[in-house]
Amino acid sequence: MEFRDNKAIYLQIADYVCEHILLEKWKADEKVPSVREMAVELEVNPNTIMRTYELLQQQNIISNKRGIGFFVTEKAIDQVKNFRKAHFMDHELPVLFRNIYLLNISFEELKSKYETFVNENFNA
Amino acid sequence: MIKVNNLNFGYSKHQPLFKNMSFQLSAGHIYGLLGKNGAGKSSLLKNLAGLVYAKSGTLDVFGFDPSSRQPAMLEQICFIPEEFYLPAIKIDAYLKANAPFYKNFNHDYFTDLMKEFDIPVSQKLTNMSYGQKKKVIIAFGLATQAKLIIMDEPTNGLDIPSKTQFRKIMASALTDDRCIVISTHQVRDLDNLIDTVIILDENNIALQASIEEITEKLTFKKVKEMDPSIIYAEPSLSGFHAVMPNYHQEDSKLDMELLFNAILTEKTKFKPYFN
Amino acid sequence: MSNIFNLNRFGLLLKRQWLDFGKVYLLTLVILVAVIFSFYCYFIPSPIGDNFDYDGNLDMRFRYGLFIFLGFLFISITSSSYFSILGQKPRAIQELMLPASTFEKFAGALFYTAFLAVISYLLIFYIIDLGFVKYVNSHLSEFKMESAKHSHLNGVESISKQVTSDKNYLTYLSSYFPIPFLVISIFLLGSVYFNRFHYIKTAISVAIFSAITFYMIYKASILFIGDKVMRNVMVQKDEILLWIFLVSAAITLSLWLITYIRLKEKEV
Repeated sequence: MEFRDNKAIYLQIADYVCEHILLEKWKADEKVPSVREMAVELEVNPNTIMRTYELLQQQNIISNKRGIGFFVTEKAIDQVKNFRKAHFMDHELPVLFRNIYLLNISFEELKSKYETFVNENFNA
Repeated sequence: MIKVNNLNFGYSKHQPLFKNMSFQLSAGHIYGLLGKNGAGKSSLLKNLAGLVYAKSGTLDVFGFDPSSRQPAMLEQICFIPEEFYLPAIKIDAYLKANAPFYKNFNHDYFTDLMKEFDIPVSQKLTNMSYGQKKKVIIAFGLATQAKLIIMDEPTNGLDIPSKTQFRKIMASALTDDRCIVISTHQVRDLDNLIDTVIILDENNIALQASIEEITEKLTFKKVKEMDPSIIYAEPSLSGFHAVMPNYHQEDSKLDMELLFNAILTEKTKFKPYFN
Repeated sequence: MSNIFNLNRFGLLLKRQWLDFGKVYLLTLVILVAVIFSFYCYFIPSPIGDNFDYDGNLDMRFRYGLFIFLGFLFISITSSSYFSILGQKPRAIQELMLPASTFEKFAGALFYTAFLAVISYLLIFYIIDLGFVKYVNSHLSEFKMESAKHSHLNGVESISKQVTSDKNYLTYLSSYFPIPFLVISIFLLGSVYFNRFHYIKTAISVAIFSAITFYMIYKASILFIGDKVMRNVMVQKDEILLWIFLVSAAITLSLWLITYIRLKEKEV
């Protein structure tokens, strides 16, 4: 896994786990790699992985079964989507809004742009 | 696990290296010790291991005074110096002679590490390259199951695949009862491995903080233009790499090299954030 | 486990040190054997030479000098090389970090330099000497044939037998007994004290130190007693020998103590 420049490592790892869940490489009720396995695979401090897993636990994406390890929750896919949406709303949208405001872009203009984008990419 | 109080140390009376230095290290962490050349990284590590003696102040390494060099303490310390020596014998002979001193020595773990490092156990130590020898002493040191692991520039002399092996091994070596201290000037080799940064400057510790704490208080990002909130910035191709206060609870990725330069140049400005 | 001395750990240490020290040591032993052997070959009495006195004793006097001179070289070289690795930083770190107490490391040094080196030197010299003595004695008849003027020829005694059967020799031997250990302690201290060129530096320091000491004693004796005393006070020979024993033993022990302290305080 290549880490990007700007996002905190533990969040990038969370994305990595979420990606696996969305692509159903790790299915509901399956065990996710242990903190140590993950740390070794990604060459990252185990405490960082622990931080990621704690975050994912808070988001109900994985759950900790004492003594056994971390498991993908039943509704993990929904939770991932919720989590991503929340993250988008909280972190990416403000940046976008700022640019929209600064560049004086109207909502109508945005709306038409958005619709063509959806048409081009998802309704082919 | 380790408590240092008012440490004063220097190789000559007129040039003190550390003045009234105090800090604590706890188990379950990988500390990254950073500092300019001559800031005293190696000397600090040697103080912890009892290889040099403090002028004044106290050091407590899991209950021992390191300067007393007691066997019960020494068998719990794994010290990997930057330059080292291995006798001209086979690895198993080396093991036979040295491993019995460490009552927790784990031979299976050693074999695993050697496999991970791609070194045949029957090879003679004289026929090895510097990098291979380094891997042998790292493997030996980790296999002693020491509580305190001290490494001085461990990635020096390792090629790129070996660095990857090294990071994987260190990631798995960290346990809750182990404390790992690594000094390095090649920050990029290790930056995801380190969870707490210690920066040495001007006879003392300029910063000791976990990555989490640092990114809570500061944010690291690329900006197009300078603005007054930026505490420190370095020009880059597309603007600046900047460090600024984390006003918006952003979770940025810590750029350790940038942090290091920032702390050294703007020490007083950063001080209020870490007290 | 004791933090000062543990027999099991000490055994491990001796085994480990053998890996390092042993090779140099064995090599020195081989050279030693070769040197003793060649000296004996060269100086051994032969029927061709005229090397016996009027009492019919073969001249084997060369071996005393050889014994003392080689002995000095051998024990000083082995003891001066023992801690020499502490002069090299990377090796010193490993030695100091090895989980054995300073006392055990010091005792290991004594074992190799003061015990093993001395014993092996004596043994080697004894065996070679005995071999040559046996050889000469079995060829005594050839001496008789070459020089008819000596009808009576004595067999040669081994050096150890000669020394132990003579009461005078024995007194000297016991009085000078600490001297080799003094040499060992001096060179061992030198090997801890200096980081490089241990042997030369130790030798030079000893030379300077003893020159100063003798000069001071000489000056002091002139100052305090002048030149008139010696005629009146006849010091007993036994008493001098006792003093030699006591003083050299005391210096040896204190040098060992200093070495131990230096080792404890060694920094890298």
